Amino acid sequence: MMICTYFRANLQPGNADAAMLEHLRHCDACLDFAMSVDPDLFFRSLGGDEIVPPGGIDAFVGDVMSQVRVHDAETSLARRHSVSAWQRWAIAATVAAGVTGATLAYRYEHAAPQPVHIIAAAKPRPAATATKSFVETYSSHDATIVEMPNDGSDTKVVMIFDDKLPADL
Amino acid sequence: MAAEVLRMIPTKESVELDDRQLVEQIRQGDDRAFEMLVRRKTSKVYGLCYRVIGNSEDAKDISQLVFLKLWENLEKYDATYAFDTWLYRMVTNVAIDFMRSKQSRDNAVNSNLRLVKTSIDPEQTVTVARKEVESVFNAVSNVLSPKQKTIFVMSEMEDLRSSEIAKVLGCRESTVRNHLFNARKLMQTQLKRRFPEYARLWEESR
Repeated sequence: MMICTYFRANLQPGNADAAMLEHLRHCDACLDFAMSVDPDLFFRSLGGDEIVPPGGIDAFVGDVMSQVRVHDAETSLARRHSVSAWQRWAIAATVAAGVTGATLAYRYEHAAPQPVHIIAAAKPRPAATATKSFVETYSSHDATIVEMPNDGSDTKVVMIFDDKLPADL
Repeated sequence: MAAEVLRMIPTKESVELDDRQLVEQIRQGDDRAFEMLVRRKTSKVYGLCYRVIGNSEDAKDISQLVFLKLWENLEKYDATYAFDTWLYRMVTNVAIDFMRSKQSRDNAVNSNLRLVKTSIDPEQTVTVARKEVESVFNAVSNVLSPKQKTIFVMSEMEDLRSSEIAKVLGCRESTVRNHLFNARKLMQTQLKRRFPEYARLWEESR
């Protein structure tokens, strides 16, 4: 390390080299003198120190390493949970197939019993069936015709029992 | 025989890996190498952060953030360039970003406040104490932009040459010199206004 007498004898304005600066930054006794020779050294006197973070270097390094471990754990977890492009396609295709299948099954289930519903709905409306099987005349030797009692309306209800009766009647 | 054995024992210097070798080991998954690198660079990184930010707790947080970013981006480091330049670039980017957001926060909070400095008698004899210089620096450097302050710190306190600072910041050397000139000028104006007892140093030396 440079001695103070050498420093004071050799310091010139604007020519502080690394050795001069090192002396300036570590010698409080020469600070005033240096300022009077070269005021630009005012702020330069601050540099060069080994500045240690609060708590010391060991604690600092420990903190950094623990943060790195947490970061790594988070990253690996995120990686495990992240899906690649082809996986996304596979998931989308599976979901689409599932939805389509479920829709078809639903339709099938709800389409099959439809006649039952229609029949069930038709039951309380005998007038609808009456319009379909409107018989004006019928003659057969084997038929048994039962005439229902008239309730006062124009329509006469008749029950025909005949093995040869056409199916569409 | 004893001399031969001694010669075969590696000395500390030969065993100690340089920055590039450490980076290579880290890339191969050696966490201890990263710990070694952090330990080696802590003073450098924290020192620059502390000078630029001017607050030890914030500087500590920012330094830790720098090392975390370093860990994340180590794959991107090109070993053909000096490691310290790459590291300094990371530090300055993070510190400048922090300063900018802090400045905008402070501006929002202190928009109606004006600092009133009660300085000592300008005629009083100047006795410079290092701690005082530090507090003066923190007070007057607030007028600098984050980039100007970073350049000023790297030049005046970290003793980096303009060419090196230009490499760190990814700009031209002339831009660095320009920023440095403006920063010095602003600092002196502030010194004259707020700390006339120190401003006299420049006037006396003329």
